[in-house]
Amino acid sequence: MLRYAAGRLLAALPVLLIVSLLSFGIVWIVPGDVAAEMAGPTATAEELARLRERLGLTRPWHEQLVGWYGALLQGDLGESILLRQGVAAAIVERLPVTLSLTFTALAIAFVAGTALGTLAAVRAGKAADRAAMGTALIGFSIPDFWLGLVFVYVFAVVLGWLPTGGYVPFATDPLGWARSMLLPAATLALAQMGLFARMTRAAMLEVLQQDYIRTARAKGMPGWIVVGKHALRNALIPVVTVAGIACGVLLGGAVVIESVFSLPGVGRLIVGAIQRRDYPVIQGGLLLTATIFVLVNLVVDLLYATLDPRIRHGRR
Amino acid sequence: MLTRRELGLATGATALSGLAKPALAQGARGTVVMAQQAQPPSLDAQVTTAQASRNINLHVYETLFARDEAGNPQPDLAEGVDVSADGLTYRFSLRDARFHNGKRMTSADVRASLQRYGRVGGSAFIMQPVDAMETPDARTLVVRLKQPSPGFIAGISSPRAPCAIIPEEEAGKEASRIEVIGTGPFRFVEYRPDSHVRLTRFPEYVQNSRYQGMDGFAGRKVANIENIMIRFVPEAGARTAGLQTGEMQILEAIAVPAAQRLRNDRNLQMHEMLPWSFQTLILNHVMPPMDNPVFRRALQAALDLEEIMAISTDGLYRMTHGWQHPGTTYFAGDVGRQLYNINNKDRGRALLRESGYRNEEIILLGDSSFSNHQAAIVTAAEQLRGIGVNVRTVITDWPTAFSQRTQRTGWHMWALMMGIEPYEGPYGVVGYFSGHQPAQHQRDEVIEDCQRRLTTSLAEADRKKAVADFQARMYDQAIAIKCGDVGIIQATRANVRDYKPYRIPRMWGISLA
Repeated sequence: MLRYAAGRLLAALPVLLIVSLLSFGIVWIVPGDVAAEMAGPTATAEELARLRERLGLTRPWHEQLVGWYGALLQGDLGESILLRQGVAAAIVERLPVTLSLTFTALAIAFVAGTALGTLAAVRAGKAADRAAMGTALIGFSIPDFWLGLVFVYVFAVVLGWLPTGGYVPFATDPLGWARSMLLPAATLALAQMGLFARMTRAAMLEVLQQDYIRTARAKGMPGWIVVGKHALRNALIPVVTVAGIACGVLLGGAVVIESVFSLPGVGRLIVGAIQRRDYPVIQGGLLLTATIFVLVNLVVDLLYATLDPRIRHGRR
Repeated sequence: MLTRRELGLATGATALSGLAKPALAQGARGTVVMAQQAQPPSLDAQVTTAQASRNINLHVYETLFARDEAGNPQPDLAEGVDVSADGLTYRFSLRDARFHNGKRMTSADVRASLQRYGRVGGSAFIMQPVDAMETPDARTLVVRLKQPSPGFIAGISSPRAPCAIIPEEEAGKEASRIEVIGTGPFRFVEYRPDSHVRLTRFPEYVQNSRYQGMDGFAGRKVANIENIMIRFVPEAGARTAGLQTGEMQILEAIAVPAAQRLRNDRNLQMHEMLPWSFQTLILNHVMPPMDNPVFRRALQAALDLEEIMAISTDGLYRMTHGWQHPGTTYFAGDVGRQLYNINNKDRGRALLRESGYRNEEIILLGDSSFSNHQAAIVTAAEQLRGIGVNVRTVITDWPTAFSQRTQRTGWHMWALMMGIEPYEGPYGVVGYFSGHQPAQHQRDEVIEDCQRRLTTSLAEADRKKAVADFQARMYDQAIAIKCGDVGIIQATRANVRDYKPYRIPRMWGISLA
């Protein structure tokens, strides 16, 4: 297993190298720079030129590339131009918000989605199946941006149960953290819940036709044990694979949700940096996001190999 | 109207006039949460012209002179100024003030701050006329100019990129590297990027005893609120929801449709500000056929500016031709009015033919970051297609559009809202279309002359004439197109008392019920 993990980790290095090159290149290709943000809409060309010079934006690209990789090899992602803070520090500061949001959403989506999918498979063709799949379809179809605003209106403005936005650190106030996470995580989870439900249903329908399930039933084993213990475990193998992809999608979706709910997360940091052309943050943020994505996929691969040992032996 | 507290303080201050004791905003209490869309690019007030920074910085920092409610310069950290007859020497006497680090402000701090502004300031050009600065004593600063510059006080009092007074020890630092230390009624506590800025009342604040109440960015600033939280909420719907639930008490701006929907909500108050800014269409004079004044006049004649304003502002606008706001010192009356909003398609087509236009592609540049820029460009494009102009619209994000417009090629028309410049008077507006790199990319000698007369004439009548001539030239040559005046709506909870809308949501003078 260790050799397998090490191999996968080594294979990720070229990916990260390409991402770092791309993130550097994109910044040079995309027009506009941070001076526009600082100088304001009616700045004159002279004011802009002066500001660019002072911010070091006029240095040649190869000089900046060497500086970027030189610092990177020392673990330094550079310093944000606008935040006056190290990029790594800025990301680390926001990581708990994004990870809280992503993993809470993943947990909601996974639990609710597999439950719905299992229910639909067990009651295939019946009203419960149609209701569960209808719910999944709705979840899959509604734009999360719009859904977030509806949730804010209903649960914050009309009912007054939850705050409209903002983040409360878990260490400061666990209950406040839960209240601040509930609406954004539920919004983010809904689409992925639909995906999990459909995947679980399809996998469960296949597994429930297997001989060993029939044997278990014939032995008189209670239905919930047959479904919950024997069928679901095997049905979850493809679902776990999807969880890895969903994690990436949720990380991407967090960008929008963080804006809607005013959460100071990594997504909002990167989007803000793109909008304002804060190059070091864009470069560092993209590299870090890609690293997280690669690591999540690695974990999923390892989990997959644990659930189905044939995979690590290359027999499937 | 003065509140009882303000009246009491004013009476007390008058009695103690000259002693200038630290302010005592007795019973200051509560936290006000204000929400704004963007976060500040910098908390170094001198450096940035961004509104998001100004909203915060003008609670923390103060300037020698500041603009009053009508936009005119008034003494703020200065008690006054004596200007020599030749207009070359400005002798500022300073009032008693204390920095947030406890240090008393002296003329050395002021001199160092102005010198720094000349190096890093967002409008550093205002320091160009300065030849030398002397500090004969701790309460006096003498500024000597190379040539008369009647706009000098207007420049150092402008909130665009405020010429903030900071401690001398900070003045040697590079842009955005200073500690956030000012003399204002609130001091800086913390900045959490993507989340909020927190300010707290400065108990040692020395109020300006020349005034009885608040007056623009000048006047007597009484902090009745203990804490201010300025939250960055990018989504407009979330800001409105926050106001409705009471999580936020003040919104920097609320969308016009939302304001109309909530107008009858007794828990909320809407504060309309009109005019707030100009909506303009900037023309690139070096890209053919825009280099031909007849072609530019064709566009000027054909555009239905009222339609552009109605669509791009959600209905909160007024049709005004002036390149200065009516009622201000330099408003030039009817000059150019006959060429404003002509909305005559036939005349537009005739001028197109006269210009020799041969269906060249005209690029209209807008950005999606400011919805009214995009709406103005899309509406103008449709109107110009209607008279036979071959139009291509390019809508990008703000930095891209802004970067493109600084190029001499790749665009013909660009939508821009000018907010702070017309508010601060004629210098920014005229200056935008003159100098080495004017907005239209082609120097116009008449406008250059207007700019020269405006910045050097000692007699106000001559300066007014220069602005009137500038306005006449803007219309006669269709240098750029002014569409109209745009308004905004600030919103507060009903428990926010004595709130007066202004260029920024001001937290001094208000209290919580």
